[in-house]
This record gives sequence, structure tokens and C-alpha cells, in this order.
Amino acid sequence: MVNKVNNMLDDARLKDRTMTGTDIKITARNVQVHYGTSHAIKDLNVDILNNTVTAFIGPSGCGKSTFLRCLNRMNDTIASCRVDGEIKLDSEDIYDKKVDPVQLRAKVGMVFQKPNPFPKSIYDNVAYGPRIHGLARSKADLDDIVEKALRRGAIWDEVKDRLQSPGTGLSGGQQQRLCIARAVATEPEVLLMDEPCSALDPIATAQVEELIDELKQNYSVVIVTHSMQQAARVSQKTAFFHLGNLVEYGETGQIFTNPKDPRTESYISGRIG
Amino acid sequence: MTGDEQHIMRAYDRDLEAIQAMIIKMGGLVEDAIMNGTASLVNRDTELAEKVRAADKSVDDLEELINEEAARTIALRAPVSTDLRIILSVIKIAGSLERVGDYAKNIAKRTSVLAEMRPISGSDGTLKRMAREVQTMLKDTLDAFVRRDEALARDVINRDQDVDQMYNALFREFLTFMMEDPRNITACMHLHFIAKNVERMGDLVTNMAEQIVYLTTGSRPDENRPKGDRTAFMDGVD
Repeated sequence: MVNKVNNMLDDARLKDRTMTGTDIKITARNVQVHYGTSHAIKDLNVDILNNTVTAFIGPSGCGKSTFLRCLNRMNDTIASCRVDGEIKLDSEDIYDKKVDPVQLRAKVGMVFQKPNPFPKSIYDNVAYGPRIHGLARSKADLDDIVEKALRRGAIWDEVKDRLQSPGTGLSGGQQQRLCIARAVATEPEVLLMDEPCSALDPIATAQVEELIDELKQNYSVVIVTHSMQQAARVSQKTAFFHLGNLVEYGETGQIFTNPKDPRTESYISGRIG
Repeated sequence: MTGDEQHIMRAYDRDLEAIQAMIIKMGGLVEDAIMNGTASLVNRDTELAEKVRAADKSVDDLEELINEEAARTIALRAPVSTDLRIILSVIKIAGSLERVGDYAKNIAKRTSVLAEMRPISGSDGTLKRMAREVQTMLKDTLDAFVRRDEALARDVINRDQDVDQMYNALFREFLTFMMEDPRNITACMHLHFIAKNVERMGDLVTNMAEQIVYLTTGSRPDENRPKGDRTAFMDGVD
């Protein structure tokens, strides 16, 4: 029955919106995270897809940001934090001793809750990563990289005439898109976003969400958000975290219309769980 | 009514409960319309028929109110999961109830005409039983809605074939009466429409029951429910 209707609706416009990746980009197996004695992530298993926006949702303290930070080894900087288990990026263990975390973070970029441009010019904000990773051979090369990144960050038209002005002089939404441009300048494969819109007004939020949707063509995007509506709007896959457990992981439409786990149901519908 | 757990925003619970209470109220009015419409026909009670026709206005008004409240809840509360299924279901159930109410009103209208004619003997009993069966199905559907009782909803879906069978029998009976005496044709045509109305009510109640299966489980029941209306294939009395 459904197949028959699908054949009837053989239309590119309808197919477009269901397009997501199927290749697995990140595999996590039996991941445990401890902060000192507290057990923050409990035996987590998940496959994150390429060319897909994956949303992590869950109440504060559920472990979603902790897990996000595991994906580019940001937790290495926290002395009391211990990560066990296996996380593979394209079947390469990112916690292997041979892996340089700085190189890893060039591949797995991150955007934070509050826009945090460097106290430098707009140009230098974006050029910083490519410079330290030696991605540009010449000034012209670097100019190209900066322009491409600012275009991907959907901010080029707004800043092209003032690339030498300080990044901190931009509006909040512009600063966040500048940070996204900075994150994509090193040609990452995965983009992690920790509440990228919570400090933005609705218009800037919509611009960043539109950008996230475009970014999924080139990257695997993982976004942590407290806004369930944002998760519903931008993601194709949703993972619900609760008390350090990954409770449910599935197609976003299914999670929001017919979740399998009662804890997911309680959380997304705003009930006391 | 919405399960054991409450929303953190209690006003959200109140909104959902109010909209479901409206469905129950509407369902009660439609049940009355079915019983009174049929009683007016069987007892040739034109006064009661008039009351049934007048009461349909409240059913229509309630449907409009339910749709408004549903739209409001979608706009203001962005319902998801079970809450979303509640809203989708009340919209569809209200639409079906409104149609059932219309069919009952149509029975009352035809009663006013039939009361002026020579009575046709024999069909009243079957019509009455058929209407009572549909009314019971509706009552059980509303109970299944309140209790989120999937098994009861599925039971209602299976009972529709009994209604269809009674309709088949009446269809043949009316054909026979009309062949016997052409003076019966006008009355039999009206009675046939009444029987068809009740049969359609059964279908609509079945739709509501299917909607309750969706509400409780998240997926629609299989298509292959038992169907008993064979009159589309009948070419005469044989």
C-alpha cells in the first residue's frame, strides 16, 4: 500500500527531502566515560552516518555534551576524565596512541554554544586553522580558502568588504557563522556543534539552521541541542540521552511521532519522567 | 485520560483533556441521535424526528470547536508523539462523528415523509437491531478512546461485518417488496436510504476505531478487515 503511493509520488521534490547518507562515519562501541568517580557515559554504542545531521537531545547532565567532546578528544584536557571503549572515525581508532589530537581536531571540527571568535580580524579568524595546519601554499591560496570557508559559513556577502575588521565587532549571529566558517576552513569531515544557537535570536538561529542543512552535503554534522524543535527541524537522526545512557537512537520523524522508549516519550513531550 | 504521566506544563494537560472531553460529549450527542432517529422512525414519532434534526446543530458546532482547539494546540504547543497522535485523532474522529450525526439527521428527515405513508411491515425490527448495533459500536469506540483500549477498538472493527450483513438482508427485502407491489416503491426507497445510512454509520465508526488503534499503537491496523456489504454485486433477488 505504502509502496504504491511512493511510486505515485515519484517526484524529485519529494525525494530531495528524504536524502541522507547511509555510510557510517563514526562508530562508538562500549564507550564509558568517568569524571573521577562519577560515571558520566554508560556503555554507549552508536553509529553516526556521513552526510547526515545527527541531533543529541536529553536533559542537562545526561552526558550528551560529554559524548560529543569524546568525538574530537576534547575531554583529553580534563585531568579527571577517563574514556574507555572504542571510537572509530572511518574505522580508525581515534584514541590510538599514534593519533595526534590536533590533527584529529582538524578533521573533527567544533562549534560552541557562545560564539568565540579570536580577538583578530575576520580574515585571520578563518585563516588561523589553515595556517597552523599548513594547508595554503601562497597568499592567494589562503585567500581562496578563506573566501570558500566564509561562503560555506553563509556570511561571505556580509563581511567581504571588511575582512580586516575585528571578528568580535560582528553581531552574535554573524559571529557564530564566522565560527562555523572557521571550523570548516580546515576541511573537516565531521562538524560537532554544542548548542550552536542557544545564544542567538530567532532570525540568526534560522540562518544557522539553514546553514547546518547545507553543511550536511559535505560533512557529518552532530549537534547537541536543548531545543527539541530545533532537533526536529534540522536533524535526520536523533539520539536521546538520559542519565548517561543512550536510551533511543533513530530516524528523527520516528522519534518525534512514535518513540519506542517511554523515557523518550516523556522527555520529548515535556512530561515528568 | 492522557496516560499516567503529566506534562510539566499543567495547562498543556488541561488543553488535551478539554479537547478529548469535547469528543466524548460529541459522541454522546451522536449516540442519542442514532437512537432517537431510529425510534422516531419505528414509532412514527414526527415530534421526536424534529428534535433529532434540531439537535444536529450542536454536533456541528462541537466539531468546529474541536478543530479550532486542535489547530490552537498545534500552533501553541507543538505536540509530538502521543500528544500529536491525540490531536490528529480527535480531528479525524470529530469529522467522522459529524458525518454519523448527519446520517442520523437524514433518518429523521425521511421519518417525517414516511410517517405520511402506508407502513411497510417487517423491516422495522432489522433496522432497529442494526441501529442498536451501530450505537453499541460507537459507545465501545468512545470507551476504547477514553481507556486507550486497543483490543476493544479491534473488536469494534470486526463487528462491522454484522451490520453489513443486516444491510444485505434489508436490501433484498426491499427489492422483494418493490417487485411485489409498485405502490411500495417510494417508501422502500426511503427505507433503503435509511438502511444505507446506518450501514455507512457502521463504516465511519469502524474508521474511528481504526484511528484509536493508531492512537494507541502508532500504526494503522491492516487493511484486510472483514467486509460484508455485497450489495454492489447484486443484480436482483435470486
